[in-house]
Amino acid sequence: MGKRITIDPITRIEGHLKIEVEVENGKVKDAWSSGTMARGFEALLLGKDPRDASYVTSRFCGVCFSVHQMASVRALDAAFGAQVPWGGILLRNLVMGAEYIYDHLVHFYHLSALDYLDIMAIAKYTGKDPELSKVKEKVVGLVQRGDTFPLTPRYEPDEFSVKDPDVVTTAVKHYLDALKMQIKAKNMGVIFGGRAPHYQSIVVGGFTQYPDINQVARFRSMLDELAAFVNEVYIPDVVAFGTGPLLPLAKAGIGGGHRNYLSYGSFELDEAGQKLLFKPGVVVGVKGTEGLTVRPFQHEKITESVRYSWYKNDTPRHPYEGAQVFDLERRDAYSFVKAPRYDETPMEVGPLARGVVDRDPMLLGLMNDYGVKPGAVARHAARAIETKKVVEAMYHWCDELTAAMTKPGFKIHDTDHWQPPAQGEGAGFFEPPRGALGHWIRIKDHKIANYQAVVPSTWNASPRDERGLRGQYEESLIGVPVPDPENPINVVRVIRSFDPCLACAIHLIDPRTNQIRKFLVE
Amino acid sequence: MPSREGAKTSRNQKGRILILGVGNLLLSDEGVGVHVARKLMEMDFPPQVRVVEGGTDGFGLMHVLLDADRLILVDAVKGGGPPGSIYRFEVEDCPPFPDVFKTSVHQISILEVINLSALIGSTPRTTVIGVEPKRLEMGMELSPEIEAKIPKVIQFIREELTLSLGNLSGKGPDEAF
Repeated sequence: MGKRITIDPITRIEGHLKIEVEVENGKVKDAWSSGTMARGFEALLLGKDPRDASYVTSRFCGVCFSVHQMASVRALDAAFGAQVPWGGILLRNLVMGAEYIYDHLVHFYHLSALDYLDIMAIAKYTGKDPELSKVKEKVVGLVQRGDTFPLTPRYEPDEFSVKDPDVVTTAVKHYLDALKMQIKAKNMGVIFGGRAPHYQSIVVGGFTQYPDINQVARFRSMLDELAAFVNEVYIPDVVAFGTGPLLPLAKAGIGGGHRNYLSYGSFELDEAGQKLLFKPGVVVGVKGTEGLTVRPFQHEKITESVRYSWYKNDTPRHPYEGAQVFDLERRDAYSFVKAPRYDETPMEVGPLARGVVDRDPMLLGLMNDYGVKPGAVARHAARAIETKKVVEAMYHWCDELTAAMTKPGFKIHDTDHWQPPAQGEGAGFFEPPRGALGHWIRIKDHKIANYQAVVPSTWNASPRDERGLRGQYEESLIGVPVPDPENPINVVRVIRSFDPCLACAIHLIDPRTNQIRKFLVE
Repeated sequence: MPSREGAKTSRNQKGRILILGVGNLLLSDEGVGVHVARKLMEMDFPPQVRVVEGGTDGFGLMHVLLDADRLILVDAVKGGGPPGSIYRFEVEDCPPFPDVFKTSVHQISILEVINLSALIGSTPRTTVIGVEPKRLEMGMELSPEIEAKIPKVIQFIREELTLSLGNLSGKGPDEAF
């Protein structure tokens, strides 16, 4: 019997994702991924006006609210029979594109990069670059004041950690630059989205706010700045790390898991919706970059298993039939997350899945040239590469929008289909930054009769299923080196590479001290 | 050329005040900050006051935070008092939590965001008005005892506002409204 290590919480919000691994002879032998908070927000929607769905579901998650709004309006579009005009599609895509840039930058620089850096190397920086010297001064100042947050090393650096003072100092400078860039990306989304965080302008049938030429110009100039950062900083950083100090991890394909990939497809590039930036498709059992067979995606093949989840015993069901009855006494259960499967097969969703399904030339090229196998490092690369793709598409959408705006009869909303139908059903699919997101709605008597959301992290973080097959997080941890059980940094690197988010979350301030009581005023 | 201090003062003179209500609307009393923000949005304030419903966003609120010279944060707070207790404290009084930070991955708390934004800009002075929740179960309604405290919470916010408007504009509190 190996040693068990528990990492809880693994998401920044406490108690939402717990990873347990069994380590034997310095490697992970088995793993369990467990969502420790009951979800089931869907129940709040039953009996409500269907148009409330996009509003309520945008509060499912503390991190990815707007993408729920997007998947939800797409389910409603389908159920209402709404035909979203090209102008509405473009505006939705531009707002979501801004979300991609924001999300991927934050994930790489602020949530992941510190796992690969020996931050204390900054103190050894002796170069003369004025910008880097300023960074050194700033960080050393923080350390001297005892305020090392937010750069505190979370785990002990290991043999893969970057220790070169120049590289580390440059990386921290980019961390600070990226903080400013993510703000820009947020502000860019707000130009069309209305107020953030909960965008008001994305509704069933299209978009509510007509854009003006000044807004498009403002959007474009912010996009220019972000594009420069993505192309000149983000991509080079990821490539330099992945093909440099992290190449051994990349070549070993650490964190590869099942290597089955699913993408729902997203982002129309033409008015007819024939061409998509991310294609839908399924790829099973990837070995190398050659001969990838991409099968068509059929949503009927999705089921959710509750064999190891705290739900009432049931056979795997399609989300239209999905239920939400908890059973906390359930034997063998270890997660509040259900186990979605495609054709009874566990899948990975997210940037790497999209890159593989798209057979993206830049991603596959890098993997070929350096002998990189799909895994944690490839996931970071796929995320950076698709950010570049989204940025390029955003220029295209800006051009299309400018052209469409000047034509007579420019429309952004299908107002004929604003009223909910007496009955109907609809599925809404979207590829948010974290991966395949589906919403399913059934309408009866103009009200919501059933609603289900299958979120990206459910695919990746799922527990075992009827056949005993592990979920993708679990499988991707098998064989991961853990030379020191006190410092399971590789486990965290693998899980973080997925951009985990089970943050359907509590956010209250919990100071862990009774001191706050003295500030009681009422 | 104005000194840096000078620049800061002139920025402060704009006196942009942000009232930020945060929390999850789907988890009953957890959403108290959002409920308060919505009530405030229906009220009239001087133009330099902005009310934002922050939801459960973290990083995504940095752009709003750095745009303010003064922040009044409204949130559920686990302070150990009876449900409905109201707390008022400066953010410096609330220690950061390194133990959470160590193992956490994705999203970060609002207090961490405030701390982080200091790296790239000047963080506004922040006062937290917190309410002790009763229940955090799924639901879109507040518990009646918490709902009943909202007018009191708003009164505290108004007091903070009056003081801040006075200080930031250089006028006495009486002239601010």
